[in-house]
Amino acid sequence: MAAERSRLAGRLSRPFAGIMATTYRWVDERLGVTDLVHQLLYEAVPRRGAWAYSLGSATLILIVNQIVTGMFLLWTYVPSTTEAWESLNFTERHDEFGAIVRGMHLWGAYVLFVVIGLHMVRTFVSGSYKKPRELNWIVGVVLFLLVLGLGITGAMLPWDQAAYWTATVVTHVVEYFPIFGTQLQEILRGGPQMGPATLTRFFAIHIWLLPALLVPLIGLHLILLRRHGEHGSWVNYEGVEEETAEERARRMAHVEYPYPAIPSDPGYAVPVDLDEFFPSQVFKDSVVSFGLVLLIFVMAVVVGAPLERAANPAALNYVPTPEWFFLPLDQMLVQFPQAWMIPVGVFIVPGIGTTLLILVPFLDRTPGREPWRRPEVMIPALFVVLFLVFEALLAVNRLFNL
Amino acid sequence: MHLILTSTPHLTPVPISTGVATALVALLMLGHIQFAAFQQGGYIILAVTDFMGWKRRNPHYDRFSKGLVTVLGATFAVGGSLAIFAVMVLFLGLWSHFFVTLERILFWPFVAEAAAFVGEIICLYPLYARWDQLGRVRGLRVGLELLLFINASIQMLMINVVASYMLTPRPAFNLPLILMNPTEIPLEMHRFVGNIAFAGAMVALVAGIRLLWRSRQQLHRAYLDWMGHYGLMWAVGFTIAQPLVGWEYAKEIQLHAYASWYEMMLGGLSVAFLFQVFLLGAIFTVGIFYLWRRVRVSGFRSPALAVCTALSFAAWLLISTPSSLAWSYESVFAANANVPIWQGGLLIPWGQMIPWKLTALIVFTGVAITAITVYAVHLSRGRLHWGDAGRGQAISLITVGVAISLIMALMGYIREDSRGPFLITNHMLINQQQNYTPPSTSGPALNGPASNLGAMAPTRTGP
Amino acid sequence: MPDQELAISQRRMSRRKFMTLGIQATGAGIGLLIGAPIVGSILSPAFYKGRYPWVMVADIQHVPVGVPTAYVVLMDQGGDAWQVPPVPRTVYVVKLNLNGKVQLITLSNVCTHMQCDVHWDINLNVFLCPCHGGLYSIDGTNIGGPPPQPLFRYQHKLVGNTLYVRNVLTEG
Ligand code: HEM
Ligand code: HEM
Ligand code: FES
Repeated sequence: MAAERSRLAGRLSRPFAGIMATTYRWVDERLGVTDLVHQLLYEAVPRRGAWAYSLGSATLILIVNQIVTGMFLLWTYVPSTTEAWESLNFTERHDEFGAIVRGMHLWGAYVLFVVIGLHMVRTFVSGSYKKPRELNWIVGVVLFLLVLGLGITGAMLPWDQAAYWTATVVTHVVEYFPIFGTQLQEILRGGPQMGPATLTRFFAIHIWLLPALLVPLIGLHLILLRRHGEHGSWVNYEGVEEETAEERARRMAHVEYPYPAIPSDPGYAVPVDLDEFFPSQVFKDSVVSFGLVLLIFVMAVVVGAPLERAANPAALNYVPTPEWFFLPLDQMLVQFPQAWMIPVGVFIVPGIGTTLLILVPFLDRTPGREPWRRPEVMIPALFVVLFLVFEALLAVNRLFNL
Repeated sequence: MHLILTSTPHLTPVPISTGVATALVALLMLGHIQFAAFQQGGYIILAVTDFMGWKRRNPHYDRFSKGLVTVLGATFAVGGSLAIFAVMVLFLGLWSHFFVTLERILFWPFVAEAAAFVGEIICLYPLYARWDQLGRVRGLRVGLELLLFINASIQMLMINVVASYMLTPRPAFNLPLILMNPTEIPLEMHRFVGNIAFAGAMVALVAGIRLLWRSRQQLHRAYLDWMGHYGLMWAVGFTIAQPLVGWEYAKEIQLHAYASWYEMMLGGLSVAFLFQVFLLGAIFTVGIFYLWRRVRVSGFRSPALAVCTALSFAAWLLISTPSSLAWSYESVFAANANVPIWQGGLLIPWGQMIPWKLTALIVFTGVAITAITVYAVHLSRGRLHWGDAGRGQAISLITVGVAISLIMALMGYIREDSRGPFLITNHMLINQQQNYTPPSTSGPALNGPASNLGAMAPTRTGP
Repeated sequence: MPDQELAISQRRMSRRKFMTLGIQATGAGIGLLIGAPIVGSILSPAFYKGRYPWVMVADIQHVPVGVPTAYVVLMDQGGDAWQVPPVPRTVYVVKLNLNGKVQLITLSNVCTHMQCDVHWDINLNVFLCPCHGGLYSIDGTNIGGPPPQPLFRYQHKLVGNTLYVRNVLTEG
């Protein structure tokens, strides 16, 4: 360990010579740079299936993209009903690079939703939430909800027609909450109707409240990840359930940091095949993230972020359409019509769905990791995903033909 | 539309009564639909099975995919010739004005459909003729099967554009709007899911029949038993999506072709619709019953599956109860008897669409997902032993197969008939195509009401 | 001696306990002092009361009978937050002839489902909501789709033939 570290110290200070090397050593002694880099980069990860495991870090890079582009949007954006649209309109017309930044924020969000969804699907299919990673799954679900919240609050900020009507519908949903509905809506809107306080509220939620929750939770997600080690998936544990006690003992003798994951089901403490996080996994992560960021950049330059006309509360023929990732929920508004059914559609059904999602690690009591050996969870999940896709398709059809 | 109607040359159809012409086309097309649905669904089952046989090395998969490809080749020939006969002889001969008009409006979808037909032949023929040789490059074979499925899907998409256009038309020269007409996506989803379920059910049907009448030989029985279970999983699994999709489909029809919706739900076709929902109940109840008993014959009790069967049966009772003691709601209305029986009317609140039938549909969906899951647990734990199936299982399989086949025919009948006096909703009447004279002025080409949407007035609320 | 030590340690313990309690109490205090105003300010809109002056709409002689007519009216928000300029809103003025008696209704075009913008559809002869296909009849009664109640009505008054409305809604 110590020898390895001094090797790393040598490697890190290699570009520096003479006085620079001395300075590096001085700083390192006080800050522990080498230790830090060592801790960040040197760990074992499963070897097979590594491309699928790059989705988590892609999510991370995409969120960093959101935060950075968001910060620079604030250079021109004014959170006011009279000026928000004007300021973005100015950006779109007179500030080409600003428009690209805006485009990257919007397309970054779109790609993020796809990638975080895939990350969820991948950890679900591989049963990564099983002992001891239950809490990390729960943290993940909370992260997912926060990102959804960021998406919907962000969509309200441009205060164009799309933004205004999205905000109207979203803030009106809470009115159907039993007993306190009206009060809740007024709190969210900062008044009985949509008004200037509505925008400032959602602005504050979008750029401070939710990111302030998101960032530490991502930290927790990654700390937990390091504590348990990457689980990977069934391809990394082939044959572990049939191996004899001594075979297992022999395997465990070669445990590398951060394994073994304790407590684990027998055989699942360490993947059968290990690789180095740096550079093997980091390389794959970088390639995937680069591809995604390139995609975002191209979309930002070619398509950009649309800006409709400024909000008009007196609109007559405007057809409000929700952001695409909310289409299934919007379709459920159609399917739960009238009086008492509306709260069922907007609170109870999604509430049950979220609760089940959180409880997945405790509901899945199956022995193995292979998806086909876990039909208890895989089949209902398949139907849930199918349901969401169908709902989205039906919503597209409905909105197109109105 | 009017322009196209008036500018299409006046073709004189073979003089034959409209009723006979309708019956001929209906018969032929109902047959054709059964074949086409089996092809499209069969291809994806073929691809998946071949892939599974490749990866999981289960001999049943290999034997099944080889058998299926032979059957698909044969049925393709029959279904294709039915279609050609329908187009060349019946459509051109008996429905010429209508068909040429349709052809002018939907030229490109028809072209794409025909092209996909050629693609289908190109993919299917080598599979049919050189199955084993292709098997040496297994990935290629599976890829070819997928390509086949994609071709058939394009074909279905295109013919769905035609079918949905006839129900909810859009401006004749606006192809994007026609492609995305209000019922296109629901119909597409409905048929996509339905065809796969249908193909699965046909597999189950064949397995059931052969289990019942042929082969006492143990090895063969094991295969047939497996085949029945495999087909049934496809059939029930995909039918689960139908209540949701079908309901949305009906909703779009209600919004965009109210008269047809009224005819289907409350009018003359409400009986047919009732029977259709009854068949759906049969598919679920018998299907789940099969799952329960199939686990039982291999020596495992499953109270969960028993409860599922019971729940499904209870929902079936709710569904199949006619909600009026007459043939159609219209006759109930006409007799002013649209009040509950205890007030001297003909309505039974139990069995009405809202909330009873909707509740039942929701119960079916939930129960079927649960049942399939429980069954799959038994399966994945290796508790099922192939060859155990008895007469009960065989009869269940046959019932599901027949029910799905009937429901397909019935649905085709309902859809085509619901347009009522129209061939193309609001644009072309049935009798217009037989004795059609282009109007001399540019006035409306319609004999019927200019718009059926006025019917949406608030007074028209049925049960 | 051991007794004494124990006593000291017990006294120490209670000192520790005291300090622990103190830390908890001051912590809670800090939280309360920072939190109370925040919570109060967040909740304040829920207890807000506004003032709503009358605004002129039109001369009702120009409104046709049986066809809802849309007017854009600058509505005072009742001093909603710092909203100084009034906000444009659509008022549907409906003149109905009920057995020779003319009835005047001033409908809001805000859907009662999720508050999208409802419009009068001349083909369907209903108010149609583009969001989820909600339908209302000419007097604002909800007749189809998800809306749970009729369209709201603005309070109105007539001065001579001039119609005035104000931003106070009543149930239809
Ligand atoms: C802000 C969003 C998120 C970020 C930045 C993030 C980041 C990561 C990273 C970098 C990994 C390790 C690499 C990998 O396995 O892909 C990981 C693993 C994991 N994530 Fe996330 N994640 C996020 C959201 C989620 C969500 C929404 C879920 C599930 C609901 C989730 C559940 C998990 C689980 C269970 C693992 C462990 C995987 C294993 O050990 O095999 N994460 N996450
Ligand atoms: C996961 C994180 C985030 C997501 C998913 C997200 C998503 C969005 C979305 C979808 C929009 C609407 C863009 C449009 O319709 O044009 C938006 C706008 C905006 N976001 Fe974010 N955002 C995130 C983080 C942030 C952060 C951290 C900041 C600030 C530091 C920020 C600042 C802004 C601003 C100022 C706008 C308005 C400008 C505009 O609409 O182009 N965002 N965001
Ligand atoms: S908002 Fe009008 S129907 Fe939903």
